[in-house]
Amino acid sequence: MTETNVIETFSLTKTFSDWWGRDRVIAVDNLNLKVRNNQVFGLLGPNGSGKTTILKMLLGLLHPTKGKVFVLGGDSKDPKISSQIGFLPEESYLYPYLNARETLDFYGRLFGLNSRVRKARIDVLLDMVGLSGMANRPIGTFSKGMSRRIGLAQALINDPKLLILDEPTSGLDPIGTRQIKDLIVELAKRGKTVLLSSHLLADAEEVCDRVAILYGGLVQREGKIEDLLEQKDKTQITTSVLNDRTIEQIKRIVEKDGGEIEIKPPMQKLESYFIDIVREAQQARKHTSGAVNRMEVSDTQRAAAMSDVLDKLVAAKIETGKTEKVESPAVVETEKVGTDYGVLNQLTQGSSLQQMPEPVEQFEKPKELSRQDEIKKNILDELTKPEGDQNE
Amino acid sequence: MSRVWAVAKNSFVSAMRMKTAIVFMLLLIVLLPIMSLTSTGDGTLKGRVQSFVSYGLGLTSFLLSILTIVVSCYTLSSDIKNKRIYMVVTKPIRRFELVLGKVLGVAVLDFLLLFVFSTIIYSLALEMHRFVKTSPEELAAVNNEFFTARMALKANYDEGVVSTRAEEAYKNLQSSGQLSEDKSKQVIMNELAEAARHSLYSAEPGGVVIWEFEKVKPADTNDSFFVRFKFDASNIPTDKLFYGVWYIGDYRQIKYGQDKVKTPIYTVARKDVMRMVHEFQVPADAVAADGYLAVVFYNELENNSTVIFSEEEGMEVLYKAGSFAENYALAVLIIFSRLVFFAVLGVSLTTWLGFPVAILICFVAFFTGVINGFITTSFDYMGNNMAILYQFTIKPFLWLLPKFDENYNINKYVIDARLIQSGFFAMAVVNLAIKSVLLLLASFIIFARRELAKIIV
Repeated sequence: MTETNVIETFSLTKTFSDWWGRDRVIAVDNLNLKVRNNQVFGLLGPNGSGKTTILKMLLGLLHPTKGKVFVLGGDSKDPKISSQIGFLPEESYLYPYLNARETLDFYGRLFGLNSRVRKARIDVLLDMVGLSGMANRPIGTFSKGMSRRIGLAQALINDPKLLILDEPTSGLDPIGTRQIKDLIVELAKRGKTVLLSSHLLADAEEVCDRVAILYGGLVQREGKIEDLLEQKDKTQITTSVLNDRTIEQIKRIVEKDGGEIEIKPPMQKLESYFIDIVREAQQARKHTSGAVNRMEVSDTQRAAAMSDVLDKLVAAKIETGKTEKVESPAVVETEKVGTDYGVLNQLTQGSSLQQMPEPVEQFEKPKELSRQDEIKKNILDELTKPEGDQNE
Repeated sequence: MSRVWAVAKNSFVSAMRMKTAIVFMLLLIVLLPIMSLTSTGDGTLKGRVQSFVSYGLGLTSFLLSILTIVVSCYTLSSDIKNKRIYMVVTKPIRRFELVLGKVLGVAVLDFLLLFVFSTIIYSLALEMHRFVKTSPEELAAVNNEFFTARMALKANYDEGVVSTRAEEAYKNLQSSGQLSEDKSKQVIMNELAEAARHSLYSAEPGGVVIWEFEKVKPADTNDSFFVRFKFDASNIPTDKLFYGVWYIGDYRQIKYGQDKVKTPIYTVARKDVMRMVHEFQVPADAVAADGYLAVVFYNELENNSTVIFSEEEGMEVLYKAGSFAENYALAVLIIFSRLVFFAVLGVSLTTWLGFPVAILICFVAFFTGVINGFITTSFDYMGNNMAILYQFTIKPFLWLLPKFDENYNINKYVIDARLIQSGFFAMAVVNLAIKSVLLLLASFIIFARRELAKIIV
């Protein structure tokens, strides 16, 4: 089985000209980007570094001044390709006169989904983004965050192989942010590829396998998160609560070796603290006119809940014969774990890919992710222990 | 196709929920019944019905055209301006499907509104005799002259007679030495031909005018046909009334002195007001078996004035050739084809222009359509001086513009109960269809190549 690039750009350049045709701004400069199958890739950079321009070129909303773009082995404007892409722009640009259900129904129709599949998926997605109770309210009356949730739901309605998210967490409350991050992790587990742009580094750090840091349209650094962030001259040990005697012993051992040591109880993240408070309020059944999400207590529970949502989402199969042959959206039923290499290979064996010069490497993603996930899970388990245990 | 319908449904819902269509619908719902009660025309039932249908259909067509222009210019341009297009074109839909969907949405809206309001006008027109006191004669007149569809024939025109008379007149002038030296022979001949043509259809006191028609084919010989005329005069009496005797039948029987009159020749003595359109009914058996018919007007001596019939509206023979319902439906379909044209124009323009510019161009096209004849004529005069430039610049552009006046004014057909012939219908619809297809093709090409995202760095 060969591993393939889901997104590949060659010397991609975009310059913006003035009225007289003179080049004024180089938004993207000679970008050679490769996003592999089943990778969560982050485009990071300050405002105006060219992140959104890259995404727009990938999606055919802007034409490259120079260079080539391949998405899923072809042109993203080709319906066969775009039917496998989910896209969330930097803001949710929705029709204010449609209600939430009609909005999702409209996008579902554009993907050529039949009415049964549309209905099933809309119910699951509305529930997932916590807007089931507001399904019949016009989008025009939604807050920015609520619109963002509908935007996310529409990006998932076709069960995409590739998800392109532009600033996915902007405008969302911490619960929504957490949910998006859980979702990205869960989608990656299911073999999907995610390309996201963000300037919220903490969010990107948590979910991305690989990042590219952009400045002035140029990639300044690119690599695996661990490789980029690992401090090679320090060691971190996390344990359960230790008594004073043990701490003293550890200190002595380290100092004997000539090292420096600092010991203190770990801090809870503000995000998880916030989620705890909201969960308590929900349990007390306090009223809200905003989005309502079921917040599970632990990381594992949350992951299980998200997995459940995605299971339901792909459970609604396309009835063949009801959709048109050429336009068939090729919504691929996703295996729960692992990559759907068969479909991807079919897609990427087009002539366009033969032009790609890159040798193909063996990809070890699923193994790596599970290790990373394991670490994260342990830390989070630690954090969400009852308070008494954490205090000395 | 399902994607095209999805976009169509969305733009239809947009127009309904943005309240644009509702405002126009309310206007029509309020105005049409009021018009049915207040329109009086010439005071007769026929006049009332004519003026109601004329204004009703005109108003519906006008308001729906404006609505179509507003909605079609708004639907795509607002998606682009508000960036909603990002989340649409990145889905598996071809850009031309998006343009088609937008046009289809507006067309469906037009179809529904036009269907509802033309049905209302039709029903109110049928029931108008209940609103006012009506005599049986008036009811018969409205049924025979309005709720029907009639074929209208113009008299045959003998150019040979005209040129002979013009040449004779020229020779007379020449021999008497009255030829103007300032004008060329061609100009003088044209003037004389014009005068001769005029004289064909004018009668001095005691004189006659003869019109000859061919291919008069009333559906039923027991039925009747109508003679429709309008005249002017050299001396105008205070009451503007003129006396005349009309002979209608196969004139050849008298002209060639046949012994026995085979088909009846009807004589009608009338007094009519000048400069108004009049109609009278004649039994259909006056028409010869080969479809020949002549109408002769005798100008009574006591009128003491020459009576002049114009070439355009002077004389027509009309006979029943179809039903009012069919004719009305065809007229409504022609209005619909115009609305679709405007839907195409609006959406096509916004594939590369913003809302304000697109709507301006649409309104210019609309009002040009209403006075197209006037504009074409005035440009044609200019064209004489700049032939080549005109031929390749303004003329093709004028061709692209729609034409709703003169012969294309369908109101005229419904009001005078003239049959909309299938040839005319096809020409009117096909003409707009060709223009619409050209516009659509151009917009597909432009839209497929256009960068839809704004440049943000």
